[in-house]
Amino acid sequence: MKPGIIKVLLFGAAADRAGTREAEVSAEATTLDEFWPLLEERHPGLSPMRDTLAFAVNGEYARGGDRVSPGDEVAVLPPVSGG
Amino acid sequence: MDGSFAIVEETIDVGALVSEAQRPDCGAVSTFVGTTRIDESGGASVEYLEYEAYRPMADRKLQEIGAEIAERWDARHASIVHRIGRVAPGEASVAIVVASPRRGPAFEASRYAIERIKEVVPIWKREVWSDGYVWVGSQVGTRS
Repeated sequence: MKPGIIKVLLFGAAADRAGTREAEVSAEATTLDEFWPLLEERHPGLSPMRDTLAFAVNGEYARGGDRVSPGDEVAVLPPVSGG
Repeated sequence: MDGSFAIVEETIDVGALVSEAQRPDCGAVSTFVGTTRIDESGGASVEYLEYEAYRPMADRKLQEIGAEIAERWDARHASIVHRIGRVAPGEASVAIVVASPRRGPAFEASRYAIERIKEVVPIWKREVWSDGYVWVGSQVGTRS
């Protein structure tokens, strides 16, 4: 499959560490685990948080083996702290 | 079960939520209000809290918590309202109102709702102190 744009949204402490709330990463269809290094390369400030982060793909929680494809929206979610 | 699930930027009208929950087939309305607490440390103090949400995922997660309540308890009405943006000390950041024929389920369901919010709803708060800020749960910020 051809590479395409995967939109990344960052929240809370992750947005702080990345220095942005939004990013676009060009990638082929892959898994979240394989997508992470692409994001980390562009935003190395995220690295120390890796183990605390959760992810959502298109608005639903996703795990490392889940698929990410061009056109998808990936959200980087630090530990939630609502309430 | 009826009710409403919302993320709002304005003051939460807890009284209105309680009024909406009262109904003749229910003998209990349980209300939980989470308010912003001011902590102090090292001569500094929290000035306000600021919340942000991943929408519409956060809206959908609140609705899912409502559905879980409807599955587990005989709740006839449930409302969950979470505020985002800047919230001043002592103001309500979240309100949960559950009506049930009897008090047990109303208490249990409202407790369940706040615990689930803290587990699964993509909302984050930042404590803004007199000397910097901290993202609660991540300990990332500008305070030394």
